[in-house]
Amino acid sequence: MRDGISMARLGIPAVALVTEDFWPQGNFVAQSLGMPTVPRVQLPHPVAGTGEANLQRVAGEIVTRVVECFSPPA
Amino acid sequence: MSELLEAVDEAAALEELHNLGCTDGLPVVIPTPARVQRMILAAGQDGDMVLGEMGPGMGIATVEKVATAAVMAGCLPDYMPLVLAAVQGVLDPVFDLTEMQATTHCTAPLIIVNGPARHTCGPVASGFGALGPGHRANASIGRALRLAMINIGGGRPGSADMALLGHPGKFTYCLAEDEENSPFAPLHVDLGFAPDDSVVTVIGAEAPHSVLYSGDADDPEDADKLLGQLAEGLANMATNNAILTGGSAVVVLNPEHAQILSGQNMNRTQITRRLWELTHQPVARLQRYGGQFSAWLDGDASTLTQYPVFPQPENILVMMAGGSGLYSMVMPSWSAGAHRNSPVSVRVETGQFCEIPG
Repeated sequence: MRDGISMARLGIPAVALVTEDFWPQGNFVAQSLGMPTVPRVQLPHPVAGTGEANLQRVAGEIVTRVVECFSPPA
Repeated sequence: MSELLEAVDEAAALEELHNLGCTDGLPVVIPTPARVQRMILAAGQDGDMVLGEMGPGMGIATVEKVATAAVMAGCLPDYMPLVLAAVQGVLDPVFDLTEMQATTHCTAPLIIVNGPARHTCGPVASGFGALGPGHRANASIGRALRLAMINIGGGRPGSADMALLGHPGKFTYCLAEDEENSPFAPLHVDLGFAPDDSVVTVIGAEAPHSVLYSGDADDPEDADKLLGQLAEGLANMATNNAILTGGSAVVVLNPEHAQILSGQNMNRTQITRRLWELTHQPVARLQRYGGQFSAWLDGDASTLTQYPVFPQPENILVMMAGGSGLYSMVMPSWSAGAHRNSPVSVRVETGQFCEIPG
């Protein structure tokens, strides 16, 4: 979340990818840093160490939501 | 001024503080305005003086808010200069407190006290059981820092403090060096401070791990065997230090072990140098156990057979404390963050301290 906010502050479009277990922490950090609405997408937990096939599956599941975050509101 | 809560009595106030997540789970002294003002008075500083911004909640750490934590922790006013120095230490950007509070690792700030303030702002224990219960200054100074990290920095478990398990030193983790009985120069002197300075050194550290060594004065390798045992504990392959490399860590020598090393005419520089050598690990072990963290070995490092766990000997802080016997302690560390778990030393400001009667 902090990385996403840092990128956004630099004017670079960013979407924070946050796993389910870290979602409350992400919200806390976003609030604390004054950017509560920074775009974010929730991932299942855990992701690290779950293998290439699972990462591909997770990526497939979230890619549409990530693209939506980068798209202007309709 | 901080926001005031109201309660019908101290018991109700305690329950409210528990319910608000303002405690460490244990009862606290209720920080009434009178008690906080008394603590601020002891500090000899303005209550609204800003010490810094404390992450991850980015709360503003004022003297008043730190004094509130000190009251809640059960500190005597005498301890305030040490509490303030510890807070200043963790607020130094080099300490990476925001990242440290948020990590899944168990790390907690260990507070090491050197110099005359061990006595004048304590006493801070450095002998038998210095890291255990029964020493008011050790217990409450470390606890005050933790309560500041919770209530100013927002480090509450599961929502901002993401330590998977934590460790008991997250309640309090504070001791002094036994300078009077140490055969070595005090730690703060070797860090560049004057002997008469009082210094608080903070470093993110794991729980202390006991190291057993039974000395043998007839063994010419006695000192090196002791250092080898300390190195085993300090940088075993299960530690972040061995896997991530690049961090700092702490060795607490008991008086007997210190004597074994000084008996071989070793000073701190020689001790840390040898520990640094003995903590090197085989590259093959990192490749086997390091997973993604061994990727740095792929380039020019691919020809190495051993790698240093610590970048420099100076990354190993050696101090003397504890009772006399077979056991020393090592504290491996988190080893991460932008500054790789750097220790921070702060000179204690005792000139402003105001003695509070009663």
